[in-house]
Amino acid sequence: MSRSFRRHGQSIRMQLAAGEVALLRSMRDGLRAVLEDGAPDDPVIARLFPTAVSDDPEADTELRRLLRDELLTARLAALDDLHELFEQGQESRGGLRVDLDAEQAVLVLGVFNDLRLAIGARVGVEHIEREQLPTDEATTQRLAVMDHLGWLQEQLLAVLDPPSVQVHLDGDGQERR
Amino acid sequence: MAPLLSAAPAAPVRERDAETEDRVRPDAPWDVLVWDDPVNLMSYVVFVFRRVFGFPEPVARKLMLEVHHQGRALVASEPREQAELYVQQLHGYGLHATMQRTS
Repeated sequence: MSRSFRRHGQSIRMQLAAGEVALLRSMRDGLRAVLEDGAPDDPVIARLFPTAVSDDPEADTELRRLLRDELLTARLAALDDLHELFEQGQESRGGLRVDLDAEQAVLVLGVFNDLRLAIGARVGVEHIEREQLPTDEATTQRLAVMDHLGWLQEQLLAVLDPPSVQVHLDGDGQERR
Repeated sequence: MAPLLSAAPAAPVRERDAETEDRVRPDAPWDVLVWDDPVNLMSYVVFVFRRVFGFPEPVARKLMLEVHHQGRALVASEPREQAELYVQQLHGYGLHATMQRTS
């Protein structure tokens, strides 16, 4: 499988398959809808806007209220920016090629992470034993997408920030991937 | 170097009413904790620690492993405003961070 992210001069070249682009566009639209709806009891909202003060419910409520608007604005802007990046990309090898500067690469990394967090919250990943295959097909599919996005993140991190690769070369052997 | 999923460090400081304790001890430190979660990649957490706090890679990695094994790690103790800024940045990157008064 060819690399999705590689160094290209001063840029990081992102090369996505058509299916990946379609999936990312669809997930981006889905996350945007959830963010705009902002239902407080939605696990995705709870995960993306989590507890901020751990020993003081009153202070937590106040700080979360303060943080929420800024975090929401930043997350929606990042989804828009990803859309723009895709629009600027060039068709290549039956998919999409986009050259990213360092800040755009961090933006992509962050959006992929938000999408993974959203999927994880949607399937209740903290209650799933990953060694056992979930029984329902929707959950299986969502976990597969989450893993694939994680693989894209790992590739991006490896070219964005080479030292972090060490974590995987000499880690403690208990990593999920 | 403005983080893209969180407010830039240079963003205007939010205005807020100081609580009584802060008026009495305005510089009383707050601990910033990062909690383990099953989604964030280990390499991503290291990246975020380096980017937000400017930690050298070995320090960032040690703290990431502490989160992974102990369930949480203390990543900063700062006056309230700075602690809030760190929590905001970490939430922007999708890490579960909280702050609490240093005991």
